[in-house]
Amino acid sequence: MTDGRTRRVFVEMLREEWRMHSHLFRGGHFALFPVLIAALTAGAAWLLVTTGTGPGTVFAGLHALAFVFGLHTGSIGFVGRDALRNLLGDLTLLVFTARTLPLSQDRLLGIFVVKDLVYYAILFLLPMALGTAAAVGVASGQGATAVLPAVSTALGLWATLTLTFVLGMGATIAALGITRRGVPGWTLLVALSAAVGVAVAGNLDIAAYTPYGVFLDPTLPRIGASLALVAAVFVVGALTFDASARPAARTVAPAFRRWRDRVGDPVATKTLLDVHRSSGGFGKVLFSAAVLLGVTASLIDLAGQITGVSPSVGVSFGAILGLSGFTTYNWLTQSDDVDSYLVHPLSVEDVFAAKFRAFLLLGPLVGLAFYAVALAWRGGPILEALVGAVLLVGVACYIFGTTVYLTGLSPNEFLFDTGLFAVFGLAMVLPLVPILVVGFALAPVSTGLLAALGAGGLVLALAGVGLYRRSLAKWPARYRER
Amino acid sequence: MPAIQIDDLTRAYGDVTAVEELSLTVAEGELFGLLGPNGAGKTTTMEVLTGQITPDSGQVAVLGVDPVAEPTAVRELVGVLPEKESPPSFMTPREYFDFVGAVRELDDETVDERTETWAERLGFAEKLDTMATDLSRGQQQKVMIAGAFFHEPAVVFIDEPLANLDPIVQERVKRFLREYREAGNTVVITTHDVDVAAELCSRVGVVHGGGLVADVRPSELPADETLLDVFLDRVDATVERGVAADD
Repeated sequence: MTDGRTRRVFVEMLREEWRMHSHLFRGGHFALFPVLIAALTAGAAWLLVTTGTGPGTVFAGLHALAFVFGLHTGSIGFVGRDALRNLLGDLTLLVFTARTLPLSQDRLLGIFVVKDLVYYAILFLLPMALGTAAAVGVASGQGATAVLPAVSTALGLWATLTLTFVLGMGATIAALGITRRGVPGWTLLVALSAAVGVAVAGNLDIAAYTPYGVFLDPTLPRIGASLALVAAVFVVGALTFDASARPAARTVAPAFRRWRDRVGDPVATKTLLDVHRSSGGFGKVLFSAAVLLGVTASLIDLAGQITGVSPSVGVSFGAILGLSGFTTYNWLTQSDDVDSYLVHPLSVEDVFAAKFRAFLLLGPLVGLAFYAVALAWRGGPILEALVGAVLLVGVACYIFGTTVYLTGLSPNEFLFDTGLFAVFGLAMVLPLVPILVVGFALAPVSTGLLAALGAGGLVLALAGVGLYRRSLAKWPARYRER
Repeated sequence: MPAIQIDDLTRAYGDVTAVEELSLTVAEGELFGLLGPNGAGKTTTMEVLTGQITPDSGQVAVLGVDPVAEPTAVRELVGVLPEKESPPSFMTPREYFDFVGAVRELDDETVDERTETWAERLGFAEKLDTMATDLSRGQQQKVMIAGAFFHEPAVVFIDEPLANLDPIVQERVKRFLREYREAGNTVVITTHDVDVAAELCSRVGVVHGGGLVADVRPSELPADETLLDVFLDRVDATVERGVAADD
């Protein structure tokens, strides 16, 4: 920041980011969001530690979360122009103004990265670090004597979480830059990924060279190694990424009619085509489900080690894979808004019905496919498997119904309004916690409990459909009275 | 029966009144211009008439149908070109017309025929299979114009139809609009471009501050008076009066 213009652009970018979030989540509500984050992370950390999860596992998970968060933030800023336009209408962020302002693209990109770092470090990562450190201290039974260590842990945690977030952002930028270099770029990326895979398979402690390694052991060599890794990633990004490059115009063979003949509804057809053709295609739906599959497998193994009881494969995988409904909902609502359909002879109810149809065709089916993989992998009694399938469909429908009712088919980023998020969180926790307690702690599940869970799955599905129907009464008038 | 009937229409957004006690009638076969500066209430009026939003008070009817009570029935009868809307990003123009055809229940043969006709008419045949997000703003506007007229409706609402178009295509669109009107259809253009309104419209309603401040037929204006004179007289005078009142 050696020049007045750079400082000014930095301040304006911060203001722009704040206004974007305020616009999305209504200013006053968004200002409370860090408090909610601190409360949620504290609650989750306390629950995990008091139920037997080691504090080290909690801190490791938090770093993984910060890394994924960094990956996501990088992609929204640099490749998510369409996504932002769908959320906020026509807009040009300052980072895209190199052609209209006397500032180089490199400088704008640099300021953008620093802005994101400062913004997210203060508003998101600091509350996460404070909430977790405090909760782990309390849950470990250290009481008031833990205040100073907790503050020290929180500050260290904040620093390494921030570095992890930066590493995630840098990794996105570097990966985008490399892959835009054609076959050589892709070859390099695959080679790097393979090298990491080989290192992991060879029991090389890669984490030691990351910011998480610094958190575990804050020695100078580790600090140096982790900073070198972050710097290397950003150097690769700076050398390869060109934000001003536009991809060639894409020409595709007509697919709408063929898809419509199978799907049966034009809006549902368009919605599924949007998912297929947007970045990541249907792969992103599969990826979300695969992540949940992996997470569930890890949780089952972890729970088995802690309690000595093997959790129910059917109930655990069924309930958790049902959560993929959350991301599926988002992919189905990212590319358009309800208003855009109101120039056609379609009602708001028509659009809601079409999105529900698209959801039913995509969400539960993908979830069930991964559930079949889980059953083939881990096995389990047939009755538990059937109940798990019912739970999966029930949870997915319940998530869809709840989200539609709360957001009116807006993408679920809109849930990150403090009030809405609290309601959504409560609506999810109430049915899911008892199901997961049974699945993880009361296995093998008795026939009576399985019957109750099966009935619970059906009730959740009906509740989801009920909430969807109530949204049909709630939202059409709101759209037309806007 | 008039094509469009508006009686005492009022619509506000929070504390801002966009349209206030607007009354207007448009006969069938008119090419009617709703002319006004930015924020005059033109787009709001169009959105009420097409059932996209509800009014706070007043009555409206399009071809005898109430868009407040029967929004989709009205939209079946009319075509709409919204001001800022682009074709869906992940569809091609050909697929967008397939979508419009499916929503309007046109058979595939008719859709194919009209797709070719519009692509030829506005010159985007070579872009029919290009993803809409990769089209220029002008090409996107051509696709949206075609979409509004695709089902050959008796009444069409078009918001700033010539925006982003090059002069050659502008002339083609103007010629088409005149022919469409001569075939007995009604076209309502909302615009802030006085020249476009003067050149194209058989009748122009000047709106300002949410109300109708002039209703003229450009062809019947005295030789020493232009539509621009009327516009400046009514709109500028209103502004000056407002400033004076504030003072």
